[in-house]
Amino acid sequence: MTLAGRAAYRDELTQIAEYDPRILCLEADLGGKGHPFAVKHPDRFFNVGIAEGAMVDMAAGLAEGGYRPFVSTFAPFAVLRAAESMKLALGYLGAGITVVAPYAGVSGGWFGTTHHCLEDFAVVRAIPGVTVAAPYGEAEMRAVVRRAAVTGEPHYIRTGRNAAPLSLPWVGPEPPVVNWDVHGAEPDRTCLVSVGEVGTELCLAVRRSLPTLPHAHLCYLDQPHLERAAAELAEHYDRFVVVEEHRQAGGIASALALLLPGREVSSVNAGESWPVHGGSHEQVLDELGLNEAAVWAALAPHEVPPHGAPATPLEQEDTE
Amino acid sequence: MTTAVDRSVRTASLLTPLIAGRPGAGTATAPPAPPQAPDPRTLVLRERALTARRAVIDMAATPTGCHLGGSLSVTDILIAALDRTADDPDSEVVLSKGHAAAGLYAAMHATGILTEDPVPHYGAASHHFTGHPGPSVEGVRFPTGSLGHGAPYALGWALSRRLSGRRGLGIAVLGDGELQEGLVWETFQVAAAQRVSNLVVVVDRNGGQNDGMVADISPQPELAARFEAFGFETAEVDGHDVGALRALFDTDRAEADRPLAVLADTVKGKGLRPVEGKAASHYVTIDAARAAAWKRIVR
Repeated sequence: MTLAGRAAYRDELTQIAEYDPRILCLEADLGGKGHPFAVKHPDRFFNVGIAEGAMVDMAAGLAEGGYRPFVSTFAPFAVLRAAESMKLALGYLGAGITVVAPYAGVSGGWFGTTHHCLEDFAVVRAIPGVTVAAPYGEAEMRAVVRRAAVTGEPHYIRTGRNAAPLSLPWVGPEPPVVNWDVHGAEPDRTCLVSVGEVGTELCLAVRRSLPTLPHAHLCYLDQPHLERAAAELAEHYDRFVVVEEHRQAGGIASALALLLPGREVSSVNAGESWPVHGGSHEQVLDELGLNEAAVWAALAPHEVPPHGAPATPLEQEDTE
Repeated sequence: MTTAVDRSVRTASLLTPLIAGRPGAGTATAPPAPPQAPDPRTLVLRERALTARRAVIDMAATPTGCHLGGSLSVTDILIAALDRTADDPDSEVVLSKGHAAAGLYAAMHATGILTEDPVPHYGAASHHFTGHPGPSVEGVRFPTGSLGHGAPYALGWALSRRLSGRRGLGIAVLGDGELQEGLVWETFQVAAAQRVSNLVVVVDRNGGQNDGMVADISPQPELAARFEAFGFETAEVDGHDVGALRALFDTDRAEADRPLAVLADTVKGKGLRPVEGKAASHYVTIDAARAAAWKRIVR
C-alpha cells in the first residue's frame, strides 16, 4: 500500500525536519487535524488560518530570515487566489518557498468548480525560477519534497486528493527528466507522454492494452526541465500524445509543441468547459472528456486499440 | 491599549485638528506641551530628513517624475525607522507603500544604507531605481509596489527572528489608502493570532490616495479601535516628529505579547508648502528650475 501524494508530503517533510531545523510547515486551515508535522514539530508548524495570500508572503519573510518554509493549501487557492504572491515571492524575489498543492485538476470531484484547478501549470510555469513538479505516487512525491528541502529553491508541487498510485520505478536519487516506460515498446510508434496522476494513470491503462507503445513520464514540468525533456524525447520519437489533467491553454502539450518543431504533438486534456456537476473524480473527468477513450482518439489513426477502446477505470479513491 | 512612549506621542483627538482636510479639523485642542530642546539625535535625524526631501524633489524633476506627496509624507517615518535598523541586521524596514520609492531611496541614501545617489538614475534605463523598489536595489530586501504585500513580508521576517531567538523587529510601513487592500487585514489577523509582538505596522496616515482623499473614497473611521479589535497594541503619533517615532521604534518589544500598530498622522507633500495636503501632489513631474526653487523653501 502506498500513500496519497499529500499524505506522503506530510510524512516526508516531518522526517526531513528531524535533521533540518530550517524546515517550517505552514497550512491555511486545510492541513487536517493531527497533521504529523504539527505533532512532531509543534514549534515549527503554523496553521495561519484561511489566509492563503498572507501565508505565501509570510513565507517570503521567513525564507529571507533563513528558513525553508513549505506552505500547503488546495491548488485553486494557492495558485489562483495567491497568484500574485507566488509571482513576487517565489519568482521575482526567488525566495526558497515550496508550495504543495493538493486538489489539483478536478480531483475534488463533487466539491465543485471552486475547488478545482485546471489552470495551475499555465500560471506557475509562467513564473520564471520556479521548479514545477507533478509527482505520480508516493515515491516521486517524497523525492520531490527532498529535492525542494535540500536545494532551498522555489518549488510548486501539484498533487491530487486521495489517489495513491504506485510510482514508476527509476534509477538514481531523484526522478529523471524523462522516466522511460518502454518495456515491450517498439520504435517508430507514437510515444505517450504522461503528466501528473491522471495523465500517467491513463497512459499506463493504454499501455496495458497496447504494450508496444512507448511511454515517457514527466515529473518536472518547468521550462528548463521541459527543454531538456524535449531534447531527449526528440532523440527517440517523432509523434507524441501528451496526456494531462489541465486545460489546453498553458498546458504541457502546448509547451512541448513549441519545443519540438517538426514533430507531431497531440494533446489529451481537460478541455475548455467548466466542471459544474458532482460525482467522483473519474466521473468529472469523463464529463470533461478526459478518459482513456480520448487517449485512443488522439492516438488514431497511427495507433488503434487491439479490441476497440477499452474503458479502464481509474484507481478507486477512498472517500475520506 | 494605546502605548504612550513619550510626550510627543499623542492621542488622535489632540493631533487630528493639526491635519488639513481631516474630519475634526478646527475643533478645540488641548493646551500645547511646553517646548523642549530636541536631543542631538533628533537634530541629526531632522537634518537627514531635510536632505532626503531635497533628493525627493530632485527625483520629481527627472523625466519620469515621482510620487512626490507620499514620498514627502513618509520621509520622517523612514528616517526614524531606518535609523533604528541601520546597525541591526535582525531588524528590517519594509516600505509596503512601494510607490513612495523615491522617499525610500532618498531616506536610505541620507542614512548611509544606500551608497549610490539615486537622484541621477531614478526611473532611468539600465538602473535599478525603479518607481517601485525591488531587491536588486542595495539595502532593499523585498519587492513592493503592489499594495499590501509588505505587511506579510514584515510579519514573516519578524516571526523568523522570534523563531531564531533574536530580538529584531519587522517594521512594515503602509499607506492609509493601502489599508483598503484585503491582504493587509488578512495579515493583521495572522499576526495577532500568532502574537508576533516584534511586528510593528506603521500607517503613514496622510489622508490621500491616487484618485483623491481617503475620506472621500473609502473612509477609515475608528482606525485605532480597528487595530485594537484585531489584537494590536496601538500608538498614535505625529508622523513628522522623528524623535517620537525613533522612541517608538526603540521600545523594547521583548515583553510584549501583541504586535504594534503605529498610526502616524502625516501631511501629504510635507515640508513643501505649495503642495502640502493637496491630493494633486500624489504624482508630480517638475522641471529643474522649479526643483531648485522648491529645494530652497523645503523644510
